[in-house]
This record gives sequence, structure tokens and C-alpha cells, in this order.
Amino acid sequence: MELAKIEQLLVAYFEGETNLQDEKTLRDYFLNENVPTHLLQYKPIFIGLEAARKERFQKEIDLPKPETAAFTNWKYIAVALLVLSFLVGGVYFSQSNKLTPEEKEALAAFEESKKAMLLLSQNLNKGTERLTLVNQFSTAKNKVFE
Amino acid sequence: MNQVEFLEIVSPFKDKLYRLAKRILISTDEAEDAVQEVYLKLWKAKANIKSYSNVEAFAMTMTKNFCLDRLKSKQASNLKLVHTNFPTSGNIERNLEANEGVAMVLKILEDLPEQQRIVIQLRDVEQLEFSEIAKILDSNETAIRVALSRARKTVRNLMIKKYNYGIS
Repeated sequence: MELAKIEQLLVAYFEGETNLQDEKTLRDYFLNENVPTHLLQYKPIFIGLEAARKERFQKEIDLPKPETAAFTNWKYIAVALLVLSFLVGGVYFSQSNKLTPEEKEALAAFEESKKAMLLLSQNLNKGTERLTLVNQFSTAKNKVFE
Repeated sequence: MNQVEFLEIVSPFKDKLYRLAKRILISTDEAEDAVQEVYLKLWKAKANIKSYSNVEAFAMTMTKNFCLDRLKSKQASNLKLVHTNFPTSGNIERNLEANEGVAMVLKILEDLPEQQRIVIQLRDVEQLEFSEIAKILDSNETAIRVALSRARKTVRNLMIKKYNYGIS
């Protein structure tokens, strides 16, 4: 590469008028050729820009873990089940509190019959008390006729 | 789309995103965080990813916007960007070695205005066409050439100044 051409390209370069091919020519020249003293000050520019292109992203790309996504799904299912069980339970309990007229009638009848049974048993107890008196009479009779 | 398919699409340009983020934010840590954020956003929008004509250009634009926002919020909250990437070299040796020159160029790049930093990154580091840069930056080629010329000239002038100082 003739020097005059390089000097011409340099002028265009600093005016922002070179294309990518021109810039490659300049880069190749300053990175590889023996650069004369009066152009030496440009050398670090091209070396520096080339060095900057060598820099690498050293970390791993950090995305949300797939396990976390699975866990989230699992949580959604758990919440859905919980809500469902509340709904089912709620419906069940609310229905058990609401009695049909027939059921109410049956319940009332049950209460009545329970009362009747209670009365019966009380009277029966009175009867047995009286029976003890009869027993006393028979023991007294035994004493007399011994 | 599962993570493997997603990574196949988006991994090839992770270094480019990182270099752009670092050019804007300068700090390595901040740049890494920015890239992670951009990928997280892309992952959340993965349903649309195939409808984008150019995922890479889209990701570059996202990165640029994200980093500029970060920079703005830092400046608004008066926080200074802290980075320990480069040892600050106070005195320059009289005989300028290539490595020192390179470190100086990179330091000069850090001090350019943001827009010029982005343009010189996309053109002189990533070697993209002006049409591609215009698309990423939502700008026009003329404006990009102007910003690029300014950036290159600033680097050149500062290098000449330091170089002449170094050898005189």
C-alpha cells in the first residue's frame, strides 16, 4: 500500500467519509505494516479500537430457572384445589342448614316423640316407687304371720 | 419457545451488547448488569421475538436505551459512576509504547460525549454499516457521520497532543 493512498484515506477517515472497505485498509496497514514516524501517532488508535472489539461478556446469560416455572405451576394448582374445596365445602354446609319442610316436620315429630318417651319413663318410675311400698307391705305381713 | 431455543437466537450477539453497554456505562459490573437486564426483557417478550425482522438490532437499541436511562438516573441522583477498570496513569512515559498509547485511546473514548461514544463504538469497533447504525440509533446517516467525525477528531487531537508532549 502506497503511503500517499494511506494519507489520503486518513484525511477522509477523520471526516467520516470512508466506507467499511477503506477502514479495513487503514486497519490492516496500521496493525501490520511498518508505519513511518510521522504516522506513528495513529497506530494506537487502530490498535485500541481493534482491542476493544476483543472484549467478551464473561458471565452466563441469567434467565429465570425452569424449576421456578414448574414450581409456580404447582402452586397455581394447589391454590385452585384449595379454592375448589372451599366452594364444595361451602355449598355442602349451606345446604345442610337449609331444611326442607318435610325434614322440619320430621324433626318436630322426633322432638315430640322424644318428649312423650320422657313422660312415659317418668310415670314408669313413679309406678316402681309405689311397688316398693307393696314390697314393704309383704315384709310386714311376713313378720306378723311368722 | 424454551430457554435453549431462546439462547440459540440471542447468544450470538451477547458480546456486542456487552461492549456497547460498557462503552456507555464504562463500569464492567454495570455493563454486565445491563446485559442481563436486556436479556431478561427479551425473555419476557419472547413471544414476539420471531416477529422482529432483526433481533440483534432490536437488542442493540434496547441496550443503548437501557444504558442511557441508567446514566441519566445516576446523574439525576448525583451518583458518580464508580469504576475500577483502568488504573489511572498520572504521568506518561517519555517513550510512548504501543500499549500505553492504546490505554490512552481507550481513556479518551471514555471522556467523549455519550452519543459520540455510541457511534464510534458501532462503527469503529463493531464495524457496522451506516444504515445499520442509523436503524439502531433511530437516526440518519448524515448525523451519524458528523458525530463519528467529531469523535475521531477528538481522539486524534488528544493523541497528537499527548504524543508530541511525550517525545519533546
